[in-house]
Parts: sequence; C-alpha cells; structure tokens
Amino acid sequence: MTVAAARPPDGPSAEMSAAQAAVLARYDEMAALLVGMDDRPRADPGLTAEAAPALLHEARLLDAGRFEDWLEGWTSDAVLWLPLSARAHPGTDQSLLLDDRRRLAERVDWRREPSAWGQHPPSRTTRVVGSIEAWPAANGLVARSTLLIDEHRHGRHQALAGYQIHELVGDDLHRRTKILVVPALGTGVRNPSFLL
Amino acid sequence: MTVINSDTATADFEGLVQPHRVHRRIYTDPAIFEMEMTRVFAASWCYVGHESEIPAPGDYRTTTLGLRPVLMTRARDGAVNVLLNRCTHRGTVLAAEASGCAKRFVCPYHGWTFAPDGQLVAIPFPADHAVEDRSTLSLGRLATASYRGFVFATLNAEPEPLDCWLGEAREAFDTIVDRHPGGDIGVMGSPHLLEFVGNWKLSWDNAADGLHATFAHESYNTLGEMVDTETVLARDPGSTPMVSKALRNGHMVVDQRPGIPQGPWATMRRVPFREPLETALVDAGEESLLDLATGSMINLSLFPNLLFVGNQLLVIEPVAVDRTRLQLWLTSAPSAPSEIDLLRLRVDEDFVNFGTPDDLDMFERVQRGLSIPEMEWIDMSRGLPDSDAADGDATIYGPITSEAPQRRYLAHYAKLMTTPAATRAR
Repeated sequence: MTVAAARPPDGPSAEMSAAQAAVLARYDEMAALLVGMDDRPRADPGLTAEAAPALLHEARLLDAGRFEDWLEGWTSDAVLWLPLSARAHPGTDQSLLLDDRRRLAERVDWRREPSAWGQHPPSRTTRVVGSIEAWPAANGLVARSTLLIDEHRHGRHQALAGYQIHELVGDDLHRRTKILVVPALGTGVRNPSFLL
Repeated sequence: MTVINSDTATADFEGLVQPHRVHRRIYTDPAIFEMEMTRVFAASWCYVGHESEIPAPGDYRTTTLGLRPVLMTRARDGAVNVLLNRCTHRGTVLAAEASGCAKRFVCPYHGWTFAPDGQLVAIPFPADHAVEDRSTLSLGRLATASYRGFVFATLNAEPEPLDCWLGEAREAFDTIVDRHPGGDIGVMGSPHLLEFVGNWKLSWDNAADGLHATFAHESYNTLGEMVDTETVLARDPGSTPMVSKALRNGHMVVDQRPGIPQGPWATMRRVPFREPLETALVDAGEESLLDLATGSMINLSLFPNLLFVGNQLLVIEPVAVDRTRLQLWLTSAPSAPSEIDLLRLRVDEDFVNFGTPDDLDMFERVQRGLSIPEMEWIDMSRGLPDSDAADGDATIYGPITSEAPQRRYLAHYAKLMTTPAATRAR
C-alpha cells in the first residue's frame, strides 16, 4: 500500500512539534487509506459479510434522520472525512468536511436547530450501498463500498454517486474512520449539507 | 481583433435600478444576463487566479470570465498571461483540465500548437495552409495585471489601470495581505465548488450585508452559544461599532475588527485537531499568530467577481441567469509556522458547513420569490439617505445595517450596463 507523505513543514518553525506530528500522523493514516484502496487484493469473504450489516444499518439510520443513534456508532477518536478529490490529503487540501467526534456532535445539533435553513426543511435521502468489500485491519476491518444518494429538497432533486471507506473496530464494529468520496464535489453541487 | 461595441445591444434597462429599489428583472431576465456577461464581466477587471498557483513556466489554470473559457499561464520568460482558451483554427477549447503544466498547448482536434504565451508555433502539414503570418493567429489575449500576486484580466478595449480601478479598496487589500508574515500569501490547490439556483448578484447583495448575520446565520451563532463562544456574526448589528464602506467601482468593505476587540481567534469554536496545534504555538511563544488561523475580519468585495471572506477567496462564477457557481479557495500563510495552515484547513470547513448552507438556501428562496411577475421590486432603502458624497467617488461609511454598499454596487452595475465599454481580445 502506498503511504502518502505529509507535506514537509516549511516556514520558520521547520522542526515539527510533537503535537503537529501526531495530527499529521492521523491525517497520513487517512490519506493512505484513500490512496491505497485501489491496490488492495480481492476482499476477504468473511469480513465482507461481517461489514455489510454495519454499512447498511448506517445508511438506514441516516436516511431515517436518526442522527443521534448514528452518532452512537463512532469511536471517541473517530474522524469523518469528505475530501474534494480522491487524491486529497487532509493536511494540505481543503475538504468539504473533516469532523472529529466533537464536531460530529455539533453537526447533529446543527441539523436539529430549526434555524439551520440549509437543512430546514430537511433533505429526504435514499442511500443505495453496493459493491461491499472488506479486508482485515488492526482491531477490526476496512471496508469499501459504493454509494448512491438520491436527495429531494424544496421540490428539487439531485442524485450523487461515490464510494465510502470505513475503518470499523471492536466487537461492535464502531466507526473509527469514514471517508466519503463524491466526485461531483470537484465540479460543483448544490447545498451538499445532506452529505454525511 | 474584432471590437464589440455593444451600444446597439440595448435592452430597456433604464429605470430597473433606482436609488431605493431594484427591479426583479435584473435577477430573472436571460437577455439582461447575456448583456451582463459582456458589459459587466468582460468590460471589468476580473480576478482570474493567484500567481502562486502557476509557479513554473508552462503551469496553467483554467476558469471562466463572463462564461468565456480562459487560461492563465506562466510563459517561458516568467510572465503571466491570461488567454482565451479557444483554438484560433476552429474554436476548440484547448485545455480541458482545471490546471496542469504544458510546454505547448496542442489542439486535440487538428493539432494546432500554441506556446504558453499564446503564440501559434506549429500547424501540421503547413505546406497546404494558406496562412502566411502566424502572428495573426495567436490565442486571444486579455489585458492582464497583478496586485500583490493576485492576477486580474479584462477584455475592456481601454481599461482603467488596475491600481486606479482598485482605488480605495487597496487599503483593505493590503491589510489582508500584510497580516501574513513577510506579506507572503498563497492559495491552496483545489477549491470548493458550490452551485445555487439563483442569479450571481444574490451573492453580491449578501457580501456586505451585516444584517443577515443575525437572522440567516442564527444556527451558526447558536452553535457558538452552546460552547460559550461569541461568533463574529453574533454581535448586535444595531449597536456594533463594525463599519461598512461603499467604495468606487462597486467595491465594498465590511470592517468587523472594531466589533471584536478580543481578536479574531476568540470568535472561533474548537475546530477539530485545534488543541494540539494551538498548544504547540503557545509553547513556542507564538500565540499572537493564532489570529492568522482565522480571517482578517475584513470582508473585501471587488466587483464583479472576488470576495475576501475569512481566509477564503470566494470567486463568483455566473453560469446562467438563475445558476451561479461559487469557487471557494483557501489562502495559506507560507512563511508562518505550519500549524497555522493546518488550523486554517479546519477553520475553513466551519463556516462552509454551518453558515454557507444557510446562505445558499436564502439565495434560492429569493430567486423563487423573484419569479412572481406581479411583485416587481426589491427594497434597498435601508440607511437612506446616504450621508456623504453619494453621487461622487468618495467612500460612503455606514453602520453594517446600512444597504449603502448594495446601492453603490448596483449603481455602478447600472452604469456599466447603460454606458457599455467596447470589449476586444488583444
């Protein structure tokens, strides 16, 4: 698997602080998951069968608007990342979002806030999860799946497609990392605040 | 090359922009939109890109300027060119990628080959080609000028010098650039691209609108309240000492700094991965640099297509009368400790996720409302009369609840639409 190198630090404080190195290590880990995905061998059938219910459950919770329940399924060190391209790095490129557990909770609060006009009235979504594959990973598995999201809002409709990478850990297969790649983000989409 | 004198392309524009109100048609009429693409976007200086995006000879980036595909290139001599991205043979768009590096632009249709400075350098099978003077077949060229590394271009046949066109806006422009150590500002790779079903001027009406922050961005301010953070948008617009300025040529400034004496960083919630990076800067004795991680708190709008908001460059790209694409570019501080740019990335996402969706919804709601033919007018009278020098070139100052900036840019817009300048490719 190719590991994307973090950008070498530049500017006056060229010696990287330990804190910065820790942040970049997490970012590198995520970038490596993304960049290395296409090089992976054929998936593990048992793990693929194990991953499928977790991915379908997540899609069902999101489509039902059960965001609080969805929030329960993340580890304390979780990251949700929506890059703008499949070649992006969290430390050098803008992302649509990169949420830690704290901002995930804020996001759920925002969705519930009646004055969050961008999601009130809310988007009605239907997710179609397909092509699930999974491989072993430390303390769990890594899964890749394709995703179609059909969205209706204000009498308008858009359909977006992409793929998602999940790092699921522990007995409950909690989400530690989720990366959602939607190529249309690179060309311009309308109010993407329904994407999670 | 051909000079387009658009005097003849008149529409009954007179009376649509009045001092206190504007007519819905300037947001809904496709014929007006088509005129705007030449009279406003081709005839004004427009922002194209930043020099740091094309550091080496052959580097290029594509964008549009009033729907016209354009190409910003770095030539072998180091000069920046802005060219029409159109083969002079049959009209094929030459560069299809958003950016790249090319020693030559070879047309994929018939192989005509252009240098990064636009010169035609090769035609295949030249023996049977009648063209004798290849210099007449260079790529169309725009007048190009830079300010502090920001590249602007125009098709105006006789443009005002860029410095003059910027005028009083240079003060805010310089402040935004000079807060970066060494005056060194960069632009990161790929932009967010967001579209809305609405006219491009809706984002202009919003850009210096200090009042909407209280209502449209209530959800953003509520997120701040939940963690005892007073966001910059949460201030009472009726009493804040923040200042709005309506400048010549439709430019606008909202200076929020007087309203946030505790500094920009204090207005930010705890973005992801904030603590370790913040601690590292504090431990290094560079706490004062933290303000760089968030915006300058000066919103500068350069009519018609560039807004400085936070650490973003927001480029307004009209697509159709009721469709607009926003390019959101993130600026970097290359000579600051690298923690700053790492923080900027996460700060950048904050408003894009919890503020921008609410703006986009307002734009689309307004566009839907403006579809009602029986309701013709939009009120723009708040803060009238404009106290000082409304008819002259001087800056009009006001509280951030004043609609003077909107009135001023629309008056400039109306002038461009009714007294069109000739445009031409060079």
